[in-house]
Amino acid sequence: MTLGADGAIFAISILAGLIGALAGVGGGILIVPTLTLLFGIDIRLAIGASIVSVIATSSGAAAAYVRDRMTDMRVGMFLELATTTGAVVGALLAAIVAQAFLYILLGLVLLGSALMQVLRLGEEMPPEVEPSGLAARLRLASSYPDARLGREVPYAARRVPLGFVLMWGAGLVSGLLGIGSGALKVVAMDGAMRLPMKVSSATSNFMIGVTAAASAGIYLGRGDVDPTLVAPVALGVLAGAMLGARLLPRLANRQVRWIFLPVLVVIGIQTLLRGFGVGA
Amino acid sequence: MSGNARRERLTPDQFRAVVSSVLRTGVVTAAALTTVGFALSLLVGWNGSLLGAAPTASAPTDFSQLGPGLLALRPVAFAQAGLLVLLATPVLRVATSVAGFWLEGDRLYVAITLAVLAVLLGSIFLVH
Repeated sequence: MTLGADGAIFAISILAGLIGALAGVGGGILIVPTLTLLFGIDIRLAIGASIVSVIATSSGAAAAYVRDRMTDMRVGMFLELATTTGAVVGALLAAIVAQAFLYILLGLVLLGSALMQVLRLGEEMPPEVEPSGLAARLRLASSYPDARLGREVPYAARRVPLGFVLMWGAGLVSGLLGIGSGALKVVAMDGAMRLPMKVSSATSNFMIGVTAAASAGIYLGRGDVDPTLVAPVALGVLAGAMLGARLLPRLANRQVRWIFLPVLVVIGIQTLLRGFGVGA
Repeated sequence: MSGNARRERLTPDQFRAVVSSVLRTGVVTAAALTTVGFALSLLVGWNGSLLGAAPTASAPTDFSQLGPGLLALRPVAFAQAGLLVLLATPVLRVATSVAGFWLEGDRLYVAITLAVLAVLLGSIFLVH
């Protein structure tokens, strides 16, 4: 890599970290095509770099999200139980499942979720509900300080079993396809569990680092992670994620939806195309 | 707030502060090591050595030469170390949460977090 190429990768990585921190996804959507299409880097090394970018987005943003009570740590830990076990099962099944079919299925699920997301575009806050027995027992009800609204917003997770099953599915596809599946996590928390959008995004951010760390060992062992290639990616993504984490509390939930929707559509299309053997 | 709160030795705010600082420390350390590696690579190249040792022949993806590389002040070794710190940060965060929920007196979440940690370490360990 020349210094100029490293500089360009660094700049694009800042953008990837910023979008990732705001939308609750890993930033692989920008990193992988940039490295493969713009710089002709091997897809194997590009995916290795994107796994690192997921962890950098997650840890870089979560330091602020946890402190500012944007991340719900109990929701995150409870659902990580689903994603990590799903990911292990996925990794074990990876060899015997047709990946092309899975990419198509996942792409359709994401684009379907995008349609649902359109219907919720104008929604600032999910309707307030009393926590169910299960949500109360698991303490999946809390509140977050909304800097935009200038008040403390209470919330309670709904449809906990459905959320858990969806998260298990998100973990399963992570393990099967080696992706972060942050978009699916946001969809499960926002769409199924009806948590406020900013809490969904910040909690997804918190979780994707753990999902990625679970598979990072595999990539490292295979020699897919080149630290000299990853250096500008990691530094850029960290800077972007820290910036995004300062921004999110001040945005309206509605604005976060407007950021998340195009990200969801792009990921959906990329995933679908990959299923048909097109692109990275 | 709930019936399963026992003797609290850590308030939720303190718990968050600890987890937040674990994450920040991990991220800052990783960024510092990576930056040092990158800056030094401009001087002697990734595989060179500040001590003037011969360029290493091992691939940058080979982490087995990390120790000797650091001793020879090789830029590639700093980048490798930064990467490993970055990858270890989420695992450390989960481990810290086990202690945090314990001190907060929430046994249910101690169990949940321990299970996550076990699966996580298992998945990393299974590979090798």
